[in-house]
Amino acid sequence: MGFTIKLAWRNIFRNKRRTFIAGLAIGVGLATLIFTDALILGMKANMIHSATAAYSGEGQIHRQGFRLTQDVEKTINNPAEVIAGLAKEEEVEAFTRRAMSFGMITSPANVSSVLFVGLDPESEKPLSHIDDNIQQGDFFSGPEARDIVIGSQLADLLEVSLGDRVVVTVSQAGSGSLAQDMFRVSGIYHFNIKEMDGGFAFVRLGKAQEMLGLGTGVHEIAIKFRSLDSAAEGNTSFWEKYSVNGNEAVSWMVLLPQLKGVLNMVWISLIFMAVLLFGIVAFGIINTLFMSIYERMFEFGVIRAVGTRPGGVRRLVVFEAGALAVLSIAMGTVLGLIITLIVMKTGIDYRGIEFAGTTFYEMLYPELHLQQFLIYPAAVFFFTLLVGLYPAGVAARMSISDALRKSL
Amino acid sequence: MNNGKERLIVAEDVQKEFRDDDIVVAAVRGIDLTVETGEFTAVVGPSGSGKTTFFNLISGLERPTAGKIWLKDQLVSKMSGRELADFRRDHVGFIFQAYNLIPVLTVEENIEYIMLLQGLAKEERRGRVRKILAEIGMEGFERRFPPKISGGQQQRVAIARAMVSRPELILADEPTANLDSQTGAALLDMMRELNRKTGMTFLFSTHDPMVRERADRVITLKDGRVVEDERRALN
Repeated sequence: MGFTIKLAWRNIFRNKRRTFIAGLAIGVGLATLIFTDALILGMKANMIHSATAAYSGEGQIHRQGFRLTQDVEKTINNPAEVIAGLAKEEEVEAFTRRAMSFGMITSPANVSSVLFVGLDPESEKPLSHIDDNIQQGDFFSGPEARDIVIGSQLADLLEVSLGDRVVVTVSQAGSGSLAQDMFRVSGIYHFNIKEMDGGFAFVRLGKAQEMLGLGTGVHEIAIKFRSLDSAAEGNTSFWEKYSVNGNEAVSWMVLLPQLKGVLNMVWISLIFMAVLLFGIVAFGIINTLFMSIYERMFEFGVIRAVGTRPGGVRRLVVFEAGALAVLSIAMGTVLGLIITLIVMKTGIDYRGIEFAGTTFYEMLYPELHLQQFLIYPAAVFFFTLLVGLYPAGVAARMSISDALRKSL
Repeated sequence: MNNGKERLIVAEDVQKEFRDDDIVVAAVRGIDLTVETGEFTAVVGPSGSGKTTFFNLISGLERPTAGKIWLKDQLVSKMSGRELADFRRDHVGFIFQAYNLIPVLTVEENIEYIMLLQGLAKEERRGRVRKILAEIGMEGFERRFPPKISGGQQQRVAIARAMVSRPELILADEPTANLDSQTGAALLDMMRELNRKTGMTFLFSTHDPMVRERADRVITLKDGRVVEDERRALN
């Protein structure tokens, strides 16, 4: 076995230029896979972060049924207990409470339906990007209880600007009677997301609770985790722990199913690309091995004549494929690492671009993971061996006398 | 046989036809032949007379269309591919016209190759390599690669490889064709000497008159048949 490996390794260096070109072609395929995987991982993290960090958070807790009905009466059960629990969670970086209801916002010029949200500005800041996207005014920096922050699109519709007055009408919990109050526009944000810029109106939590007749009740607790892995659906212990007493805790994967779908689609694209690349690589390997075999027909004839079994020849050619794979993997991983490291340093500027309902807020950086340098190279290695079986079979089956005759 | 020697090769009405669609070419047309152990025999004849085909049939590289071939009392013509590979490995040594050696293996590794196939231990292999290199006058060439030595030296190494596994039969197909006459003569003398020392049987397919001069038997083929079988007593 050791001798055959040595022979195979030396054989692939007989034609150094051809081996280098074939190895480089396979290596470029591998480098592309590594880089694309790293880019997709970075894109995934960026998309999830952009989508969840805008407003929703990476997880939310509600009263059961609230997400479906938005019923103002369905406030979270035992909120104090839930909040105390979250405050102790190691994996939770931040959380914030919200009260909300659909309502109507009116200006002297126009009227629109909105999701009227009461929030706590201080705990909201680390969780969402509303404060970061303020275009005019500020994000509840003053003491005024009647401040309201709205999106740019809504401001345009209502034809209001900073300092202008608007009236919000909502339906109260319990009685169902209408509550109305006047607010002064203190901030206008712009997310470049239609739903956010045109469909929300934010006030202080206390004011919203008062208008909605909730007392200290809240409808939603949005959560940000220290790691995205903790926010995944698979972290069942967390979601189960807070899905008690009539409440439900759900991951962003449930809150933003369209994002999960898009990410799945991206992975499918990677698989499709991998299949395509592997197909090209397969032709490269087969071509290289056949050229090498046909050049050495007489030699194969000699080694068969002196007593090498067909299996021995097959093994030799497969090992040559393996040796080519090792060389290609060395080139591919180094190339993949270099490209990824460069882009990790420079980043790709997708900021402001909306993709599948998500606007990228940050530079896109690929993410390196050890598995990229284990799984893909291993796949290339075994795939190369598999592809090598075909030329190996041809070499093993060739007629010895023909091989000896043709090449002389 | 009654001369005290054993029969090594027995060919009985051996025929070989090659077919290409409807065209049938008879390369060997009924050869009956016996070769005894220790012979130094030249098979001669013009191109297309069937020399190489006959060699291929004896060694099991090709199967006869009709007839039987025994080598060391084993019916070669009925062996499976794997049995033939093992049989050649253990009982037949080959020397070809050129390109005998694997260029990426050193002289030592080339000679070791068949012994590796035989599963001999490293010590045994290296011992035999040293001994045979001394016999062919190529001590010190162990680590050289074939492209770095002359054509004559390469043929010497090919002879060493063919003999080192101690087969009963050495088949040499035009072994001097690519060598100058002086080198060819020296090589033939060396093989003749090894033949005398070891008792191995040498069978040459050749056009070379130098081989004919040194052979103690000359079999002439023409159109796939034995037309002359001359035994000679040499000094």
